[in-house]
Amino acid sequence: MGIKNIVVSVAGGVVSLLTAKYAVYLAQQLDAKLTAVYVVDEKALGDLLKSKIFVEVEAQGYESDLEEQGRRFLERVRRMAEQKGVAFEPVLTRGVVHDEVVETIKQLNADMLVMGELKEAVSRKEIFYDEGERIFRESPCTVVVVKDYEKVEMLYGSI
Amino acid sequence: MKISDYLKEHACQMNLSAQNKEEAIREIAGSLNSGGEINEQEAFIRDILERESLGSTGIGHGVAIPHSRTDSVDGFLIGFGKSSSGVDFSALDGEPVHLIFLMGANPQELNLYLRLLAELSKLLMDAAFRRELMAAEKSSDIIALFQKFES
Repeated sequence: MGIKNIVVSVAGGVVSLLTAKYAVYLAQQLDAKLTAVYVVDEKALGDLLKSKIFVEVEAQGYESDLEEQGRRFLERVRRMAEQKGVAFEPVLTRGVVHDEVVETIKQLNADMLVMGELKEAVSRKEIFYDEGERIFRESPCTVVVVKDYEKVEMLYGSI
Repeated sequence: MKISDYLKEHACQMNLSAQNKEEAIREIAGSLNSGGEINEQEAFIRDILERESLGSTGIGHGVAIPHSRTDSVDGFLIGFGKSSSGVDFSALDGEPVHLIFLMGANPQELNLYLRLLAELSKLLMDAAFRRELMAAEKSSDIIALFQKFES
């Protein structure tokens, strides 16, 4: 029993790094395994192609860049987890972001999802379309939304 | 993560004097640079023009969204320019472009960039939004319109 299986949703970038740090902290404190999931957002790429903002070759370039960024980012989180003595598994997948994150949670039977801060103000339309909102609402397990990034650095540095 | 969180008044050019695509890009980049948001202006413009060489970002309905991932910005930035007479952007529908959104993002922020680009494209599909952008007179009106249509 207890919280033994934590998933953190990451997308690259500064906020994701801080979110991952908090997840590493939690996993270490709870002696839980940590899985980080990065999704190559094929839906956004498809939408941009459809609306003619992207040309084919450009979309392909972004797709491989996103995959490479995901690989590098997950490797960085793996190093962070290992340094703090946390068991870690990376998941690099592609598709619709919220679907893939929720699917990963279900497959792993995770106890907790850690994710970055949501938008400040949202309309009904945004709740429907925003990937973060949808992950938050559709997650089958408890969700921790990371805020107060200064404190995150302090907590991470303390272990 | 909304366009209105990133678009600033100083980056909105309400009366572009540019006659062609490169001039328009340079003019908007100049206003972004005045806010200190671009690290290397020429590198930024070069990256944008390089993307344009793959195919025009003039997507029709008088709108163009020149964009690029580029090391010359730290996070994400967006500028706006309006041309009453229209700029030849070799747009997909062959019509001159009146509303230009110039976007750039650091390669480290790809996901944020893609989502904001998709958000902008969705907003610009709305004819009422385009009409109101065309009718806007001040930079603050542009920001207010984004706030209105994004809420």
